[in-house]
Amino acid sequence: MFAELLAPLRSLAEYVDMMPSSIAFRESIYVSPYTTVTHVLAVCFFAGLILVMDLRLLGWAFMRTPFSHLQRKLFPLQMLGMAFAGITGLVLTFGDPLRFYSNIFFWTKMLMIVITGINAMAFEYVTQQTVPQWDNSPITPYAAKVAGGVSLFLWSTVIIAGRLIPYNWFA
Amino acid sequence: MNRADMTTQRPWLYTQFAIIAAAVVLWWFGWFGVPPAPFEAFFVSMETWPVSKAIGESLWIYPLVQALHLVAMAFFMGAVMLVNLRLMGLGLTQTPLAQVARSAAPWIIGGLVAMFLTGLPQLMQNSSREYYSEYFWRKMSFLLVSLIMLTISMRFMTRQSDSAAAPSGFKIVGVAALVFWANVIIAARLIGLFT
Repeated sequence: MFAELLAPLRSLAEYVDMMPSSIAFRESIYVSPYTTVTHVLAVCFFAGLILVMDLRLLGWAFMRTPFSHLQRKLFPLQMLGMAFAGITGLVLTFGDPLRFYSNIFFWTKMLMIVITGINAMAFEYVTQQTVPQWDNSPITPYAAKVAGGVSLFLWSTVIIAGRLIPYNWFA
Repeated sequence: MNRADMTTQRPWLYTQFAIIAAAVVLWWFGWFGVPPAPFEAFFVSMETWPVSKAIGESLWIYPLVQALHLVAMAFFMGAVMLVNLRLMGLGLTQTPLAQVARSAAPWIIGGLVAMFLTGLPQLMQNSSREYYSEYFWRKMSFLLVSLIMLTISMRFMTRQSDSAAAPSGFKIVGVAALVFWANVIIAARLIGLFT
């Protein structure tokens, strides 16, 4: 089922794989490794700042800081890190599409990223409206704890799945 | 920050400056990638220990500790970034520096413990490759400098400072610390790419 779902992407992956720019990136001595390094650095920056916000939502850290203040200050930095991680990630995928196409951990990572997006949107449109009620409170409401816990778990699995991509156990 | 706080913290601020200057000089002259010869025999023998061999033979221990090492790093760096951003006058500026540091401390210490516990098996399993890798020693050099700076910052520079604006010298410490931590990560990733 999983393979059938991805089948339409197969021809795209094969097409990109043959592109001269993709081949050049794949065979580069420095560009490809340093793109990987930048990706890891960006993910660390971005995930680190997401995780501290999740800890605040769970009520585990930075409880003396109003949530709205933490969110307002960290959001631009999170978006900056996400842009770097996203662009370098896209370039890395572009450089070796067939390798990622057939990798279960890559697709696990992508799926988790999509779910974190849904979780963030759900928080933004529902729980975010209640922030003024608990902004300075030492206890966060159940909905905020769920949003933080889900985000914390999913970003951890994104990192784990990302690190496991070289282990193509289920090709 | 009031005058009394600044008086007690100034020597530590200058200590940080001296560490930053020494690190930059050593880095510039290439001393951050040199394997320490006295440890050679120990490192080469480490991977022959039965426990190291068991780690290498297991299909899942090595991938698992590699992945958890990165998760611990993300938590650790999140907490470290908030402290150093606060030193730079960015991030949680409405919360006193001391409070930011106190709240970050368990995550910093927990992250370090988790990274040590997941890093050690990786080193044991691969110890001679790591010993002969300049990137491994570059990582360890930056790690040592960063840990000393972090300890001084957390213990002596983040106490009883209530004002939003940190003295300008603190900004240098915050920027340098983040640059050094980034270099720990860069060097760590390069071990696997160029060794």
